[in-house]
Amino acid sequence: MTRVFINGIDGLLGARVAELISRDREARIVGLGRARPPAPVGRAEWFAARLSGKQFVELLRAEAIEVVVHLDFAGAERPAEDREQAVQQNVIGSMELFGACAAAGVRRIVLLSHVGVYGASALNPSMITEDRPIALATLSGLLRDFAEVEQFAMDFVARRPMLQVASLRLASLIGGWSPMVEYLTNPGPRMLVGFDPRIQLLGLDDAAEGFARAALSSVAGPFNLASDDVLRLSQAIRLAGQQPVALLEPVVELALSLGNTGVLGHWPFGPSFLRYSCVVDTQRAKCELGWAPTRSAAELIQMLRANGRLVEDRAVSEAALREFLARRS
Amino acid sequence: MSDDTSPNGRPTEAPPTEATEGLPDVVAPGPDHVGAQEAVAGPDERVPPPATAPGADERTPLADAPPPETAAPRKGARRAASPAAASGKTSRASSRKNARAPAASATGPSRAKTGGRTTQAPPAVMETPSAETEGAPGAAAETGFDAPGAETRSASASATNWFDVPVTGAAPPPGPTASAAPSAVPATSFWSERPIELATPPSAGSLYEASNAERAAGPADTLFEFEVEVRNNVAETVTSEVSEMQNMAAGLLRLVGENMRRMTDRQVERANEILRNIDLRDYLDPDFWKGIGMVLRYQIDEQVGFIKRRLNGEYSTDPFGMDPEVIAVVRPFLRFMYRTWWRVRAEGLENVPSTGRALLVANHSGVLPWDGAMIAAAVAEDHPAQNDRIVRSLHLHWFSTLPFVAPTLAAMGQVPGLPENAIRLLQNDELVCVFPEGLKGVGKLYKDRYKLARFGRGGFVQAALRAQAPIVPVAVVGAEEIYPMLGNAQPIAKLLGMPYFPITPFFPWLGVFGAIPLPTRWSITFCEPLPTDTYDPSEADDPLTVLGLTELVRERIQATIDAKLAERKMIF
Repeated sequence: MTRVFINGIDGLLGARVAELISRDREARIVGLGRARPPAPVGRAEWFAARLSGKQFVELLRAEAIEVVVHLDFAGAERPAEDREQAVQQNVIGSMELFGACAAAGVRRIVLLSHVGVYGASALNPSMITEDRPIALATLSGLLRDFAEVEQFAMDFVARRPMLQVASLRLASLIGGWSPMVEYLTNPGPRMLVGFDPRIQLLGLDDAAEGFARAALSSVAGPFNLASDDVLRLSQAIRLAGQQPVALLEPVVELALSLGNTGVLGHWPFGPSFLRYSCVVDTQRAKCELGWAPTRSAAELIQMLRANGRLVEDRAVSEAALREFLARRS
Repeated sequence: MSDDTSPNGRPTEAPPTEATEGLPDVVAPGPDHVGAQEAVAGPDERVPPPATAPGADERTPLADAPPPETAAPRKGARRAASPAAASGKTSRASSRKNARAPAASATGPSRAKTGGRTTQAPPAVMETPSAETEGAPGAAAETGFDAPGAETRSASASATNWFDVPVTGAAPPPGPTASAAPSAVPATSFWSERPIELATPPSAGSLYEASNAERAAGPADTLFEFEVEVRNNVAETVTSEVSEMQNMAAGLLRLVGENMRRMTDRQVERANEILRNIDLRDYLDPDFWKGIGMVLRYQIDEQVGFIKRRLNGEYSTDPFGMDPEVIAVVRPFLRFMYRTWWRVRAEGLENVPSTGRALLVANHSGVLPWDGAMIAAAVAEDHPAQNDRIVRSLHLHWFSTLPFVAPTLAAMGQVPGLPENAIRLLQNDELVCVFPEGLKGVGKLYKDRYKLARFGRGGFVQAALRAQAPIVPVAVVGAEEIYPMLGNAQPIAKLLGMPYFPITPFFPWLGVFGAIPLPTRWSITFCEPLPTDTYDPSEADDPLTVLGLTELVRERIQATIDAKLAERKMIF
């Protein structure tokens, strides 16, 4: 019997992870979100709240949680309104949760992260493996939060041998809302003149599958999850039915130094990610988690184009409708 | 000539048939020649009539306009010829011979007129027709008249040979006429000087045997006649623009005529032979053009489809960004550089495995990394297995920071030179090419050519040992001279953020043109592979093994280079 706590069940990814873990008869799932889950959550019991560190300890102890899946990051699955608040939630919230896990005797934490934590640089290998260090100093925004949390987690568990952390570094998610979807679906995605980095994507279902496997296994450390195929950024934009807008790099640098953060439009990462590729090797996840992506990046973009922003929402809506109609019987 | 083409026959088909069979014939229907020559003379319709009208219709006012001294002798001939042509009953046998003879005979009057270019012309005039008419006394009178007529024809008939054909798109002579006509301004200034020269015509004919000159001169002289006619016409025209055009047309006629005059008998024969072998009926067949149209359309559709597909992002790359379609696009250029520009001689390609992993280790030279491209071209073009194996060269990671260069290199299958990349590629059973000299090699000064620089720290040997890939040393000779780098402007390089700034005899002085590599002759030698499977992968961490192997590879490449340099006689 594995008792799993999912922090962030109010996102599409959390709901899907809960549903996948429910398939394991042995698992018991408790979910916490700030709102109603947007999709069926299987056998998971959930409630909507915003807990402090002490309340976390109380909950984890009361429910005798063994595994914590931490997906509660502002800006990952819905737009973050305020950067300061997002840091508070992402970094400080994660630190509180980690402390609570250690206090409550949680065995294992599965952490959401992003492949962007390796940074984008000419010195990165063409396919980055997990032993590449995190490039914390070069990152900004959400990626910096992920990197900081990962860094903190590594230092944290280094002194607590009873606690394991598996961080899943996901390529940009295509499914529900994600910064990359925002970039690809808004008109005029920005690029830099003369640069065309390679990108990877990841389907929401594949990501959820990775989390479910990681939650129920006992492997630790970072895992890269990404599609097997690689797209050029311009190719991805064109497959999504958009025309890229190329900006001169000095202009972008100047605008950024003058404080114009909107110059890159909806591009979710720093300008270096428009220059250099950040493509990862998923061999470790395949070997140790037995995970494999079911959808290629090209397929994902086609789905995105066909169904609009919420690709998976047809199934989601169908399930919600059935649930609503069944409530009287 | 089996079908007796009457002038009233299908006009479109008649002249080519004759041209095909090489018979500058009397019976060629006039109108067609007009059409043909008009087409020849170019888009400006004001020019051709003076040139063609005499051959076709003596009633054209323009033909009457020129001073009698030139027009008279030919007019008579033409009048005689026209009925003969109209009758369509000309004796084939005689006209067949006449076709040539008059060509010679015609030189008489025309030469006299243009200032007596040859002295022996008159006898030829007298003799030829009589000789010809002997065989067919009945047709004597006819032939007599026919002969000069045939001459005008043969002018236009040789025009059939020389001009008709090109109209349907085969031979070059009229090309300049057609194309040059519109560009009047520069040409006119040149041609306007020509009338002065008219008085002292080139004595080209005297350079050759008389008969040769005669034969070739026949049509040529007719051209000169036309030229004079055109010039006379020029004198009358009021509009300067028209007269300029006509001046130019006259000049061009003269040029063509002079060149024809210089041709030897053999050359004329050969040209005729070539033209005769072209079956012009093919070109008149609508299906032929339909076929060509379909081919062109297919080509265009294909290209447009390709571009559309690219613009829609419908292509795929490997994880390193290699794009086979882009490689297919640049390959012809690389083949040109390989075969024609540098005439690369590749040896020992059997040492490159046709499948499975291998690490090519080559000397680096030549400011821009052309040597990598040529090694790849050698494997793609000349490898005995002919399986179009793509060599993945490792380039300096600095190139990944350059706009346009970075995505292009990636699309071509080149990968930043990091140890992780080398090992990964080798583990994928790719053919990897490295240049351990790196910048020290490619930015070598000319005085240091063919002296191998330090081979890094043996990172390539480590990669080969870890991936258990055989090492194939490669010696490139010839690439050092493509940009003789006399100096390295380090301050400019620093300013531009470049690793070096080459000063060659041509760069930066000639700007972009200075970047054109010199066409030296290359040789690329693939040496015997050094097996690495006798080592344990863990020995990659042993500096002694690694550095020893590095030195071994370096010495082997240096020895091969020295041997090839001794063999080489000259750079180009």
